[in-house]
Amino acid sequence: MSHSVELSEIGPVEKAAVPLPEGGIWLDWLLYGLNRAIVVASMLALAAASIVLTYSVIARKFFGAATDWEDEVAVFLLVGATFLCGAMVQAHRGHIGIQVLQGFLSPAANRLRLFLCDVVSCAFCGFFAWKSWTLCHEAIVEGHRTSSTLGPPLWIPYSLMTAGMALLTLQYLAQLLDWLRRPAQAS
Amino acid sequence: MSPTTIGILFAVATLLLMVSGMPIAFALGSVAVLFIIIFLPASLLDTVTQNVYEEMSAITLLSIPLFILKGAALGKSPAAKDLYSSLNAWMHRVPGGLGIVNVFACALFAAMAGSSPATCSAIGTAGIPEMRRRGYSPGFAAGIIAAGGTLGILLPPSITMILYSVAARVSLGQLFLASIIPGLLLVALFSIYVGWRYKREYAAALAHVQSTGESSPILAEEEFSFKEKLRALPRVVPFLVLLLGVMFALYGGYASPSETAGLGAVLAFILIAVVYRMWRFRQVSPILAATLRESTMLMFIIGMSLMYAQAMSHLNISQSAAQWIVGLHLSKWVLLGSLVVMIMVLGFFLPPVSIILMTAPIILEPLRAADFDLVWFGVIMTIVMETGLIHPPVGLNIFVIKNIAPDISLSEIVRGVMPFIALMLIGILLLCFFPQLVLWLPSFFAIK
Repeated sequence: MSHSVELSEIGPVEKAAVPLPEGGIWLDWLLYGLNRAIVVASMLALAAASIVLTYSVIARKFFGAATDWEDEVAVFLLVGATFLCGAMVQAHRGHIGIQVLQGFLSPAANRLRLFLCDVVSCAFCGFFAWKSWTLCHEAIVEGHRTSSTLGPPLWIPYSLMTAGMALLTLQYLAQLLDWLRRPAQAS
Repeated sequence: MSPTTIGILFAVATLLLMVSGMPIAFALGSVAVLFIIIFLPASLLDTVTQNVYEEMSAITLLSIPLFILKGAALGKSPAAKDLYSSLNAWMHRVPGGLGIVNVFACALFAAMAGSSPATCSAIGTAGIPEMRRRGYSPGFAAGIIAAGGTLGILLPPSITMILYSVAARVSLGQLFLASIIPGLLLVALFSIYVGWRYKREYAAALAHVQSTGESSPILAEEEFSFKEKLRALPRVVPFLVLLLGVMFALYGGYASPSETAGLGAVLAFILIAVVYRMWRFRQVSPILAATLRESTMLMFIIGMSLMYAQAMSHLNISQSAAQWIVGLHLSKWVLLGSLVVMIMVLGFFLPPVSIILMTAPIILEPLRAADFDLVWFGVIMTIVMETGLIHPPVGLNIFVIKNIAPDISLSEIVRGVMPFIALMLIGILLLCFFPQLVLWLPSFFAIK
């Protein structure tokens, strides 16, 4: 099994937040720039969610204030950070998979296997991005809101989900193009 | 087509995509979408993303990134090293003290960080070199840390428990409380074994000295003055206060689990800023970036596993499989034994998050029918999955150890962890014979 993310976190070598696309084409550099910006925004979202939830405890306990909006804000921040960072994790190849076949196949067969895995993953992410967009569009047109007392519009998290999955699809496309341009390196 | 046939096809497709090396999240999502397209009305496809969002936006699930953040803040600071040094200063007189110190340090750090690999790495980085310097055999030292690290998914706050509470719809507070005594039981079992094994290694070293005259570091005595012991305390106490404070906020009814996660993360950052002066962006950003990488990967698996489970339900696979298991009329303990073996085998290949979300729709109903308490089973299931973390061929903690101590061979690590797997199985047996070890604390605090 591949555990690239965990091992990268705990090993002695600290990984850059977004890996540099050495020898990449314009799409790689575009994704690199977007992912860097998103990582910073998501770091802030993560910190903000922690602070909002802490405020919720303090406000309720010490000031007797009603805390009906904090959970919702934290959800939006964390869902947004999660989906938007999907592409950054893929740039590290950090979505874990089971690699039991690796040792049994020749290098050429392994290359083909990984290429096909990326094609199917890319297709799935593209499908999910498309369906997220239709959901987002419907929420905008019909003015869907959450059922809480704050009732913020649902297009906010849906649009973040759509953008995140679209970016992830693009990241897969960029990696597939890289396979095609430089098959030897991909091995 | 019958649900049985569809179920078999579903399982085969899942196996094929998983084994192909596709990311687990997208393999599960692809199988779910493919089967919805083929076997279910097209209108259901329009709701898959909405369902994934609704499931993922459960605030209990979203506490996971914040618990990871708290663990990363502690793991990337020198807190683990200080905790380790302090425990060593106070416990070195206990027979097999250094090994037991490592078990205790893993348990305490696990309770603060909530992550198995993070615990393994944080304590192992200091603990493995120190144990080897003091003459412990490499496999023994590696086994202690790998097994100690697994306590991270059992002792609260545990991400695995959060997922189980969502999947089984049982109280997270009850689950957290229920896991404390079994966690301490495992700590006790590990410590007894470590003490016994230490005595054997000590006796072997003594015999070696008597026959060859060559000394061994395991025979050397380590001494700490009272002043040294006191000096070790101030850096550790704040983190123990954090551990207890977060538990107090949760069980005192001041904060929900998600608020506890946020509060814990904020307090952890305040502590590392005050104690270690880690407050600049360049010091804090690696913690945040690491959290984003790990939590995003996990949340994608969780979201897609939930979609996979929903597809199974729509296809009537989970209900049919559950009915089939109930219809076998297995005795209570044969049913439990079969499920334990199945979870253990799945643990060879899959992370705990996927195992819980993929199997819960099938196994929980038969367990309810057999009158098992689902909180009790959650603890048993977690310990079984702990064995998967250190069990060959793909135990995650084994690779963590290999990463931090590359000169210890894989076979030595595997030999070192095997006795701990046996101890975990003994622990499971004890919890089966004495279920009150799990259920007493939740009933005492009456957390509903």
